[in-house]
Amino acid sequence: MSGDRAASAPGPADDPGTDDPGADYPGEDPGDDDPGRARERTDLAWTRSSIAFFGLGVAILRFRPAAGIPILAIAGVTWLLGHAARPGNQRIASRRVLVVTVAVSALALVSLVLTLAGPPSNGLRP
Amino acid sequence: MRETGPVARARTADKERITIVSDNATRGADQGREPDARFTMANERTFLAWSRTSLALVVGGLAIAQLLPPFAGVPWGRSAIATPLILLGAVLPVLSYLEWRTNQRAIGRGARLGRSQLPGILAVTITVVALLAAAVDIYSRVTSP
Repeated sequence: MSGDRAASAPGPADDPGTDDPGADYPGEDPGDDDPGRARERTDLAWTRSSIAFFGLGVAILRFRPAAGIPILAIAGVTWLLGHAARPGNQRIASRRVLVVTVAVSALALVSLVLTLAGPPSNGLRP
Repeated sequence: MRETGPVARARTADKERITIVSDNATRGADQGREPDARFTMANERTFLAWSRTSLALVVGGLAIAQLLPPFAGVPWGRSAIATPLILLGAVLPVLSYLEWRTNQRAIGRGARLGRSQLPGILAVTITVVALLAAAVDIYSRVTSP
């Protein structure tokens, strides 16, 4: 009897207390099964996007304050969109995604005009 | 051994009702009414990641056009490198929005998601721009040392 027990003891089937953590989560990523973390990741993605606009706005503010302020405003709006609206509402989701699309594309078009038609820059020399 | 009587009839009716209910559920989801929030949030994060990529392309293009000293002997060099980057930065958010919308509907239907075209577009553009930048730099160094 004790011999049988010793032989089977190292097997994982005998010991449910120390099973691998993956057993509780059939998915590849445990976080994917948890809506709470998905929500947190989405909030963080909005924060990251807002910070990207904010960094660009501050950088441009040093060279052209008139162009920097609207970009900082976009950063603020992006942050509000990510944190004021709750995901799940289809209409709000569609609107806020559209706002970001328009903001980035508009910024790109202004930059394009500036590059093609703006005054040539001497660049920063060390 | 075929079942007859009220019980069997009720079972058949149940089966039919379940089929109808599930059909209605599919039809309702077709209009994107109750998709899984985890999938729609993942879809939104993907869109945001593409938006940030676009922003980085615009910033890179602006830096080349405004902060980089001009290439000696190649006055159009900076614009030639910066323009495709900024142009891609303008187009990517629109494409990524359309893809987000398509995926949102597919999630609502419970359908498979299509393969994204955006990584290919990004990879080709960046490769071409990198080769162009190398060519402009080498040409500038060779012709006006």
